[in-house]
Amino acid sequence: MKAVWPVVLLGLSAAHFALADSGDAREGLTWLRKMASASNQINYSGTFVYQHRGLSETSRIVHYANPAGGVFEKLETLDGPAREVIRSNDQVTCYLPSSKTVIIEQRNARLLPALMPERLTGITENYAVKTGPRDRVAGHECQVVTLEPKDSLRYGRHFCVEVRSGLPLRVRTFGEKNETVESFAFTQLMVGGSFNRDKVKSKYAARSQKWRVDRSALNVSERPADSGWVINNQPAGFKKLMEVRRMVSGRADSVAQIVFSDGIAAVSVFIESMPKERQGQTLTHQGAVSIYTRSVADHMVTVLGEAPAATVMQIANSLELRTNAAAKQ
Amino acid sequence: MDKISALMDGELDERQARQELARLRQQRELRESWDTFHLIGDALRGDALLSANLKRRVSERLAQEPIVMAPRRRAARKIVTYALSAAASISAVALVGWVAISTSTVSTQPEIARAPAPAAILPAPAPQMASVPSEGSMNEYLLAHQGFSPSTAIQGVAPYIRSVSVSQPAKNR
Repeated sequence: MKAVWPVVLLGLSAAHFALADSGDAREGLTWLRKMASASNQINYSGTFVYQHRGLSETSRIVHYANPAGGVFEKLETLDGPAREVIRSNDQVTCYLPSSKTVIIEQRNARLLPALMPERLTGITENYAVKTGPRDRVAGHECQVVTLEPKDSLRYGRHFCVEVRSGLPLRVRTFGEKNETVESFAFTQLMVGGSFNRDKVKSKYAARSQKWRVDRSALNVSERPADSGWVINNQPAGFKKLMEVRRMVSGRADSVAQIVFSDGIAAVSVFIESMPKERQGQTLTHQGAVSIYTRSVADHMVTVLGEAPAATVMQIANSLELRTNAAAKQ
Repeated sequence: MDKISALMDGELDERQARQELARLRQQRELRESWDTFHLIGDALRGDALLSANLKRRVSERLAQEPIVMAPRRRAARKIVTYALSAAASISAVALVGWVAISTSTVSTQPEIARAPAPAAILPAPAPQMASVPSEGSMNEYLLAHQGFSPSTAIQGVAPYIRSVSVSQPAKNR
């Protein structure tokens, strides 16, 4: 009978550790929730530095949210050639003065999956959520929250969340060896301020009338659709969020888009008919986003997302046209 | 050579293993010792797959020897020596395998248990693609993707910097 006690004690302490851990996770999730709602409710403006694989860029950002759920934002680069991104609710417009180009991206709001915080359960399945110490970024006190990936299919995240507003002051994406893949950090931030339309207007709004404007993505013919494509080897923890047929800038024909997410990272699959210039497979990256293209059954497939190259390639390489769908076409 | 056996036993770290595999791809002799080591491993496991392949390759090579067509004395002796040495090495390996299995089954157990390790490394020589910085040809898709990412829900418009980042100059298309 005596021999049982150490086991029971061990079990109790294990339970204690488990509780402590889940408490930590719960606290972490509370911060994540606060962070997710902050970007829809809080007005702010500031300067942030974006770093990725040795490169760094400074930008200005202005963000307004109104009680009706409208979001108006402006991103303006301060280094190198001038560029602006304006977001008004579901429309995103990129102004590229150096090439006198405007690119417009329009999303169908009704199709937008509820990303946060409803999907937070997916996060705990794929990441260990931990809270760290308090820190300071751009003069603001913030709470460190870390998402450590449970496998190598995803990157880890480090957030430093402003204690009062819940704004993410620093977001670092890291790989398997804790190497930084990409990071965003505010160097100056002002929370609050009232809505000012002029501050979220592009300074190129008038001049760009004569620029080349790609409006193809404005035809919101985006609709839920069964593309006929299936992923045979879906990476663990990634769930299909949506599948649509839509227009994308720079593409004459409609494109199928399938989106997968593990709760924090998302991977999009784009399938288009084979362009005249047949391309081989390529693997590129833009910050934390891996981009892989290959051809499958006379189609050009592009898979991209904030995930390691292996994850994106696994999705692309297991993509297949269902046989009954092939018969229909 | 000892590095090759270390590679087979899965004792090298990723970087060393990569270097070793690259060396293996370039140098024929090394590839042959790799094959031989596997042959020994196969013999130990009683797996005839690889060894059959190697034996076939050895006999193919012997058949290709041009010396057979010019039966000069010295050359003839050469081919005999070669054939003998090849045969000797095959039988030697077989002997090693046989001795190893018959003398002490207990002591060879760990060897057999370790044998699957090289199989885990073997897929590595498959063409590995290097990720290079994007040139911007995927800007529109990147733009079309970002709105659906939870990261955008958390960070607002900031991640859109990727779509217009300077490492990918906007292309005139």
